[in-house]
Amino acid sequence: MENTTIVETHGLTKRYGSGVLAVDSVDMSVRRGEVYGFLGPNGAGKTTTLRMLVGLIRPTSGTATVAGHAPGNPAGLAKIGSLIESPGFYPYLSGRENMRVIADLAGVGYKRVEEVLDMVELGSRAGRKFGTYSTGMKQRLGVAAAVLKDPELLILDEPTNGLDPQGMAEMRKLIKDIGQGERTVLLSSHLLGEVEQICDRVGVISNGKLVTQSTVQALLGEKGVVVRAEPSDQASEVLTRMFGPSSVVREDGYFHLKTDPARSAEINRQLMAAGVGVSELRPFERSLEEVFFQLTGEKQGS
Amino acid sequence: MIATIKAEWRKNRFRPAFLVSSALLAALIIVVYLATWYQATHPGTSPREAVSILVLYPDQFVNLVMGAGYPVGAAIAIVLGALYAGSEYSWGTFKTMLTQHHGRITTWIGRVVIFELWMAIMTVVLFAAAAGSSLVVALFQGHAITWPALFDIAKGVATIGLVFSVNGALGMALGTLFKHSAAALGVGLVYVLALQIIVVRFIDSFNGGAYKWIGDLFDGQNASALIQTFRSAAFGPSAASSISVERAVLVLFAYLAVFLVVAAALVRQRDVT
Repeated sequence: MENTTIVETHGLTKRYGSGVLAVDSVDMSVRRGEVYGFLGPNGAGKTTTLRMLVGLIRPTSGTATVAGHAPGNPAGLAKIGSLIESPGFYPYLSGRENMRVIADLAGVGYKRVEEVLDMVELGSRAGRKFGTYSTGMKQRLGVAAAVLKDPELLILDEPTNGLDPQGMAEMRKLIKDIGQGERTVLLSSHLLGEVEQICDRVGVISNGKLVTQSTVQALLGEKGVVVRAEPSDQASEVLTRMFGPSSVVREDGYFHLKTDPARSAEINRQLMAAGVGVSELRPFERSLEEVFFQLTGEKQGS
Repeated sequence: MIATIKAEWRKNRFRPAFLVSSALLAALIIVVYLATWYQATHPGTSPREAVSILVLYPDQFVNLVMGAGYPVGAAIAIVLGALYAGSEYSWGTFKTMLTQHHGRITTWIGRVVIFELWMAIMTVVLFAAAAGSSLVVALFQGHAITWPALFDIAKGVATIGLVFSVNGALGMALGTLFKHSAAALGVGLVYVLALQIIVVRFIDSFNGGAYKWIGDLFDGQNASALIQTFRSAAFGPSAASSISVERAVLVLFAYLAVFLVVAAALVRQRDVT
């Protein structure tokens, strides 16, 4: 039976010589074929974890298996494409020459270089020196280099860093396209919207610890309906009768109902029939942002 | 291994640092020839003893390269080594290389091979420029054109190549140690052009020269001893070195090996952040 997990870590820990505990006993698993979001605030330990997965950093303790091998093993590296932190290329070489250098190292033909350059829409500008590229072009060349080997696992560390909104949207589309099919994408980001839009499952890291790991849907929790109605006591009576006391939460003048938003029309009808005036009725869904701040203990807007 | 060498060559064949350094060495030797030629044909212009034009003819070109190529060439080699190793960290390209298909040591060996190839190319450029310059002087002066024996040329090329390699490897080791070019080339240049000379002089003067053997272990002393063996009568009298050719070669190879092994160990063991 084929192993369904492509990345698996047990107690992965990195403590630097200065005593800083960057990653603390991370148990993480990424399944084949999924787009996995690795979420965390800046300095939470995302990049250190990813560097350990590709063998750039040795863990202080714990184990990791990536694409069936220990991190840094040449056989494993052959199956992994990565863009860690920022794209590293030679400023005096053109984009195309940089890619050919990587192709030589990766054992890939130059025809594939042209394919991936076209894929990231750099084909016409690949003759320019890398040092003259804009931030967006550099990021796209980094992604091109990461997919050059047509890897089973693609590790992208903050790929939208430094991009303007249009560049971010383009990068998100590119990652979605790349993540189609059987390829696994491990995407680290501190941009919640980005992860919410792209990923199937997420792991949230805070202060070096993986605080949760689940599907985006499970993390967001149950959907519901928010109602604002007057008189509130009468509204409470109607809603409790409809859904039971455990499914109705009254907070700040609002009723939070644990129910399918598709029942909104029915709720409205029942309230109106009981002579209750409805001033607001809308579906409710927790945003990943709220979940994230709750899990990491960070303050919103801080 | 072949793949890493191929990739290294692709990225370094037109690297400005190597091209400029090669041109600089060629220009340096041409300037030495022009200045010496002027001094030899205009007595009294040299601040030191009279310069013999004989040193400029083709039969002496190997000997003249030795004096001109060291220590300036050694300093250039250190700068190149420091840039070669250190810039990979500052550009973030080392992580790109190490996350492809090869282990750290294989990648490192590929880098060393291409660096040593460039040291060889620079050595050949230096000798070619000197040979060309000596030919021009001989033709202008109407002097007979006689070249040194092929064995002597090969010996000279091997000597300068070894000196460049040792100093380049020192630069590479420092670049790897500091993970940065600027600090590495600063320390390397201070070591080869000042620190080493001061320390050796101090050791030699200590207790009536009783510890001269320690000073003779420094790479610069051995490189100088090797260079000195190429000094012919045309260059005037010189003091004999206390270090034999065989020992100097052995010591320099030992330094080369130590620098490369230390750098390889750093590459293998340390985190790439």
